[in-house]
Amino acid sequence: MSKVIELKDIEKKYPGVVANHGVNVSVEKGTIHAIIGENGAGKSTLMKILYGMVKPDSGTISINGEVAKIKSPQDAIALGVGMVHQHFMLADNASVLENIILGSEPTNFGAVIDFKKAKEKILSIVDNYGLQIDPDATLGDLGVGVRQRVEIAKVLYRGAQILILDEPTAVLVPQEVEDLFKNLKELTRNGLTIIFISHKLDEVLNIADEITVMRQGTTVTRVLPKDTNKKQLAEYMIGGALPTPRPADTKPLPEKVLEMKNVFWNDRTGREVLHDVNLDIHAGEIVGLAGVEGNGQSELVELIMGLVKPASGFVSTVGLDTAKNTTRKIRDNGTGYIPQDRQRDGLLMSASLWENRILGHQETEPMSKGLWLNKKAAQNDSQRIVKEFDVRTPSISVHASALSGGNQQKFIVGREMSSEAKMIIAAQPTRGVDVGAQAIIWDHLIEARLKGAGVLLVSADLDELFQLSDRIAVIFSGQIVGFLDPRNTTPEELGLAMTGANK
Amino acid sequence: MSNLKTNPIVRILRSPSRTALAWVGMIVLISLVREFTGVNDITSAGAMEATIRFTIPILMAALGGLWAERSGIINIGLEGFMIFGTWFGAWFGFLFGPWIGLLSALLAGGIIALLHAFLTVRIGIDQAVSGLAINLLAAGSARYLAGVFFTGRPNGSIQVSPPINSISQFTVHGLSPFLSHIAEKHILIISDVAGILAGIVTGVNWVSLMLFLLLPFSAWILWHTKYGLRMRFCGENPVAAESLGINVYRTRFIAVCVSGAIAALGGAYLAIVSTGNYLEGQTNGRGYIGLAAVIFGNWQPSGILAGSFLFGLTDALRVRQSTSVHALLILVVVLTAAYGLTKIKKKDWKGLITNFVISGLVLAYFLINSRVPDEFVTFFPYLTTLIVLAFLSQRLRPPAMAGAPYHKGEESGV
Repeated sequence: MSKVIELKDIEKKYPGVVANHGVNVSVEKGTIHAIIGENGAGKSTLMKILYGMVKPDSGTISINGEVAKIKSPQDAIALGVGMVHQHFMLADNASVLENIILGSEPTNFGAVIDFKKAKEKILSIVDNYGLQIDPDATLGDLGVGVRQRVEIAKVLYRGAQILILDEPTAVLVPQEVEDLFKNLKELTRNGLTIIFISHKLDEVLNIADEITVMRQGTTVTRVLPKDTNKKQLAEYMIGGALPTPRPADTKPLPEKVLEMKNVFWNDRTGREVLHDVNLDIHAGEIVGLAGVEGNGQSELVELIMGLVKPASGFVSTVGLDTAKNTTRKIRDNGTGYIPQDRQRDGLLMSASLWENRILGHQETEPMSKGLWLNKKAAQNDSQRIVKEFDVRTPSISVHASALSGGNQQKFIVGREMSSEAKMIIAAQPTRGVDVGAQAIIWDHLIEARLKGAGVLLVSADLDELFQLSDRIAVIFSGQIVGFLDPRNTTPEELGLAMTGANK
Repeated sequence: MSNLKTNPIVRILRSPSRTALAWVGMIVLISLVREFTGVNDITSAGAMEATIRFTIPILMAALGGLWAERSGIINIGLEGFMIFGTWFGAWFGFLFGPWIGLLSALLAGGIIALLHAFLTVRIGIDQAVSGLAINLLAAGSARYLAGVFFTGRPNGSIQVSPPINSISQFTVHGLSPFLSHIAEKHILIISDVAGILAGIVTGVNWVSLMLFLLLPFSAWILWHTKYGLRMRFCGENPVAAESLGINVYRTRFIAVCVSGAIAALGGAYLAIVSTGNYLEGQTNGRGYIGLAAVIFGNWQPSGILAGSFLFGLTDALRVRQSTSVHALLILVVVLTAAYGLTKIKKKDWKGLITNFVISGLVLAYFLINSRVPDEFVTFFPYLTTLIVLAFLSQRLRPPAMAGAPYHKGEESGV
């Protein structure tokens, strides 16, 4: 087999951070090569170097045995390297066809787009690789899985032989992941090479032909999936043994921190989203909320936080009727909220970390003193969070956008737990974060429970639900269809319940 | 996203055949109103001519807005570019004739737009602030330049320029008198269509025609050439565009310059064609109305034509006869009632009653009074704008990144 890509001793320094040093990767033709590592281990920087978005300080890149100078994405594309970005580079307001041909439009007279030719070429790609996309569809109407196929088609349209996929499964639901893997296998059968960046160990073991592990900016080892297992990979990634405690069983306290009685809720178009929901959470227990996304979880969380009011029924959070109290009041009364979309709802991306620490606590001690914000307290407490939650950041005055997703999440979790919350809503708390950060977040959730907080854990990660929950509530099409005991339930049973099979 | 598809107005604007149907429906309705009220001026050739004259400047402003916003830059400065257009058009029109006047306005608009482009694209300052600065700059400089250049010339003063030679017009012989003849008969629908057509073919101004053609031309550039596709992506997702090797800065620069040039043409049209000289303040907020027409038209060429026409029509009626506006109240009565009826399907009884109450109130007003106050007539175009935007604003599909500064090399525009 021939090596299509060889990276030798790549080094890249940013002010204050060494993003990559001593990085060595070699990839065989026609294989799926996974690069795994924690958030902040330098995977993304490495891929940006390979794709010409970032220039390395030293080291060489060889493509098909020849040393390549890649100064821009255009150079990379010319060498047959294409990138499928984690955050899709697509426009909702345009058609699939327009999204694909942008920048490489087939034209008549050098300017007028030849739509017919473009469509033929796209359809031939679609047929060859079994991608299943409709070139005439408007992108805004498509789901995430299809969008990802559009991104892949975009890269293939430019004649890429080597595809870099940056955390491609982060945004997909299990069914879509399966489809994606089928597509990827099809691509390698056609002789294409795939570099698959991930931190999800199950997936990597499932799909990769070879695995390179990165830790703290450098490549630490290279293994074959058949010679390793999940535990070992995790240890390579974090450089030590992984603590994954299942919490000791404790008795919940009698006090109820969440009460939902016969709750109904309809959306703006009148569609019933929540139907007769009854859910109690006691102090000192973690209740998992399992369900396929879009079955009413987000709305349920918004009801608890008082962001929306129930159509009928009663919701009380730590003793406050949410229909009669503002979200501000609910938060001040001891409810912490780790939102599902951290960048949209959890942080101000272009504000410093310590300013983000104040968010949501801007009217209570110690973040405010009378009319004024207490900058000193905010900075001190941000330092504490950075230390206790192992947030990897150069300082607390950098913008939140400078942190990787996992570190942003650790900071949010730290903030939401800072005021000794009695009730914590954790919506997908470890989505898109690496195993190290996941362990820290889990530890803190368990600790909060031991201290007597009630936790609602909304998660799509079955592992997480089984590891943490005292009880698992299953939601299906807006109804709680049952409660399961994680100690004597199998993942298969939970999976079935989530699809409404018990009904 | 999905509710966008169900919105009737958006759906109509997206489909050419439905657009045509909507126009036909409007004509039939207006024709019925004319018949019912006996105010024949509504569809007379003269009213149509006036409408065209008032539509073109608004259409130019709107087209300028379309270019800029599709590339991702909001151009509040359209009004300012129009003001510059009136001055440059008038001064060079006075010196070298109207065609040179138009050309000068075009160039001046494009060059001054470099300033807006530099501030918003390169420096990334707030686009509304930069646009407002352009407007203030334009009002001030036009007055200053008028004081320096116009005073002392024949009929010139700080507020008025010397007269500009008029541009030749043509009438489609044979067709025009024939259509006018039919229009005089006041037959339902037929005469109305004839009147409208007569207005289009009588005394056609070459400039009106050429400027109008900028609309289909722009649509073709934007949706059928690679430059247009790239420009639209700069407005939708500049990070994606950059990742595919498109120079976002340069593309936006060009789009903003074209935007300024077209808006300035609209201003020059006002000075050269509408009045024959520069008058201080003659743009009278048309730049902003143009901006509203862009929103009304959902950033689509056919839509902005409809919007400009609507605003041009109300503007034209204002100067012709206030009885026309009074007659058109019936149109409001019918349309609100019809809109109310659509609520039945959704079982939105509150909406139904609200619309019927509004409809009834307007009807009562129509029956009690024989004319509307002049103040209201002046205010009518702005009120229309306000109402239309209030109804539409939630359901539109603007370019996703219009108004957001883009800095090269940053990960995300959000």
